[in-house]
Amino acid sequence: MLAPTGEGLAAGAFAVGGLGVTEQGVRLGRPARDLQRDALERALADAGLTRADIDGYIGTSSGTFDDLRHLGLSPRFAYTMQSGGATATWSVLNAIGAIVTGQATIVACVYGSAPSAGMRRVDGTKGGFGTFAYGYPRLYGMIGAGMAHALHARRHMHRYGTTSEHLGAVAVAQRQHASVRPGTLGYQQPITLEDHQSSRMVVDPFHLLDCCRDTDGGVVVLVTSLDRARDLRSTPVRILGAGTGHNIRNWWTGDVFDLHDDIAPAKATAFGQAGIGVDDVDVAALYDPFTISVIMQLEAYGFCPPGEGGPFVASGATALGGAIPTNTGGGQLSGFYATGFTALSEALWQLRKDAGATQVPDAEVALVSGHGGNGGVQNTWAHATLVLGVDR
Amino acid sequence: MKPRDVAPDDLDAPFWEACREHTFLVHRCTACGRAYWPFSTCLDHGSASMEWQPASGHGVVHTYTVVHHTYDPAFPPPYVVAVVQLDEGPFFHTNVVGCPVDDVHVGMRVSVIYDATDDDTVLPRFVPSKEVS
Repeated sequence: MLAPTGEGLAAGAFAVGGLGVTEQGVRLGRPARDLQRDALERALADAGLTRADIDGYIGTSSGTFDDLRHLGLSPRFAYTMQSGGATATWSVLNAIGAIVTGQATIVACVYGSAPSAGMRRVDGTKGGFGTFAYGYPRLYGMIGAGMAHALHARRHMHRYGTTSEHLGAVAVAQRQHASVRPGTLGYQQPITLEDHQSSRMVVDPFHLLDCCRDTDGGVVVLVTSLDRARDLRSTPVRILGAGTGHNIRNWWTGDVFDLHDDIAPAKATAFGQAGIGVDDVDVAALYDPFTISVIMQLEAYGFCPPGEGGPFVASGATALGGAIPTNTGGGQLSGFYATGFTALSEALWQLRKDAGATQVPDAEVALVSGHGGNGGVQNTWAHATLVLGVDR
Repeated sequence: MKPRDVAPDDLDAPFWEACREHTFLVHRCTACGRAYWPFSTCLDHGSASMEWQPASGHGVVHTYTVVHHTYDPAFPPPYVVAVVQLDEGPFFHTNVVGCPVDDVHVGMRVSVIYDATDDDTVLPRFVPSKEVS
């Protein structure tokens, strides 16, 4: 197989020129489409653009299609894509592709979901993100992403001696971040390791505080050329590199449960395009539906050696001032669950110096990860990486 | 719930049919001998040489979780969802039954049993192997 090159992206010619994030919470009582509309208007205001400027639309919300009447948009194209938690990153990549091929100049990547009261699924049933099931494992009561991720956590504990306390260190560190960030689920609610250990067991080894909560909310990012972004009202954030990997490769080799995702090729492509190494990353925004996801991704991206992610987090390495401040808005675990847009929006805030009490001083390069799709066999199939940077 | 309720089509129907006869099949490439599950296409030889063939019904617990939350009233907790690596190589998601949930561990030898869940559905589950492991 030939290796992809991505020369256009490596030239750093694209940027996020607008960001809109609605209120994020549990049972907001607002329909998903209203959250999408709200996020879009916030992004337009952020960028100083009007609806007429948006000539491309990529929808990323589960279960919705291309009807744009609620948004008042008139783009040249509109489609909805779905790769679970990797969709946010994929939407940015697709937006770049549309711009490169002359289909659009400013693409709106639109997310808005209201899962906390139960979403209507294609099959007519209702449920939150945590109750999806796929394929034959459902016959054995394998339901929801928790069980799928627990299979990886169990392997990690077996191979490396990772403990429940290590998982708890992730929950505590991220809640600490969220506790000082208004608008997060964990705002003003720090937790201790004892709180984690005494929270009820859900799917062993995950306690309740190892799991994120479905959140209602909307996020819109506007992707455009760097030149165009520099003319907008908001501070541009450059897209320096992007990469993808797919867990089917690890399914064939039998390594799928020993790895979190197929991160190696995603990292190699993204870091290669950006021309960076792991030491150049100032802040990490990792997709974190469960605590184990942070530990295994820190290892896979090379912030610590394989198997040492638990002690690494427990040492304070992911806190502000640590080796790699991680999920500084609380992540999905304690911030809010906007699928892949949680990590993307936090990285954008960090590089725009809008991260408030958990701002990483002088943050110039941010890592964003997303993973998702078909959680009924192993954790997920798709992994996607973005490297973002300030415009110097 | 039947296999066809959660499958998109009948590609794996021979496997589930064989379970009714208490036979555990894998999908094997007769060109190289590599076994797959579920229905697959051989990475090296494509689909031409794939056949459903009987397997040993033995394997080892590769990973597992003990479920303590009620997701579906048909599955009262606690119960074990495990991935068994069959002796032929492929992974198979299943329940480990026939022992306390706390006895299940990575590396545990297990063997298939057949549970009739209704008149025409037989699900293979796994129990600790009687052989010395």
